[in-house]
Amino acid sequence: MQEISFRNDILPLKDKLFRLALRITLNRAEAEDIVQDTLIRVWNKRDEWHTLDSVEAYCLTVARNLAIDRSQKMEAQNVSFTSEAQEMPDNATPERELEEKEQWGLIHRLVNELPEKQRTVVQLRDIEGKSYKEIAEILATTEEQVKINLFRARQKIRKKYSEIDKYGL
Amino acid sequence: MDYKYIEQLLERYWNCETSIEEEQILRTFFRQKEIPAHLLRYQPLFAYQEKEHEVGLGNDFDERVLAKIGATTVKATRLTLKARLMPLFKAAAMLVMLFTIAGTMKYAISEKKGNEIIYVYDQFGRSAADPQVAYEADSVKSPLKEVAGPSPLTEGHKQ
Repeated sequence: MQEISFRNDILPLKDKLFRLALRITLNRAEAEDIVQDTLIRVWNKRDEWHTLDSVEAYCLTVARNLAIDRSQKMEAQNVSFTSEAQEMPDNATPERELEEKEQWGLIHRLVNELPEKQRTVVQLRDIEGKSYKEIAEILATTEEQVKINLFRARQKIRKKYSEIDKYGL
Repeated sequence: MDYKYIEQLLERYWNCETSIEEEQILRTFFRQKEIPAHLLRYQPLFAYQEKEHEVGLGNDFDERVLAKIGATTVKATRLTLKARLMPLFKAAAMLVMLFTIAGTMKYAISEKKGNEIIYVYDQFGRSAADPQVAYEADSVKSPLKEVAGPSPLTEGHKQ
């Protein structure tokens, strides 16, 4: 197997890890912290790199577990991330305003309102373009489960679309 | 233009029957400017997927992580046999150089003194072309035998 270099193989995953962590925690600062923790953890396990099938999948798994942990802690501290998700379009940075204008804000909210598992699957499939097999590996589940979660997520988004059609935004 | 294919793809997308490539086709389709009215409403969804892919962290993040890890500047490299023996090669080269210099210096010094003795041996003075004679001279004529008189071996030969 090829030699794995932290700088060339693992550090470039930071954006992907950040997007996943952000999708789970819905908080940029938290997500950045999680990516940092993930990378440090992976670095400390450098002796095991050669035993891994995919370092990327491993990193994503670590990031997801950390993100879920943090989300639960945030919830325990009464900082509910679902409420934050709903607030999101309100704390309007210029970026967000633009999103609203382009209807992206609506999609953003729609995706972020999904349960964690569905949200993660949507993130990995629709945004990162990963195969069902890879997603199953990252989530430590079966391809069937991945498909079920994705199906539910897409159906919810579709339903929302038909509601918008009927009743408007 | 016929949008049947896209409509079909979209239907299959909702049912999770599309491949990664087909989903990419949808994203590419919705990226173009002219989209029929009945499909236009799905445009933000696919545009959102593409836009979210660009979200990321800045370069300063790399430095922070590398600083935390600290040891990353010490890159682990696998030593090849050649690289491992390199110091030995260098030492050997150094020795060869030292000997050359020392030899040259010694030669230069002794030449200056001019007291070297050249020993010349007359190796071929007593050589003979006839093998018989050569044999005689080498193996038989010894000073001792010359003093003691003719040896039985040479006597016999002369006869």
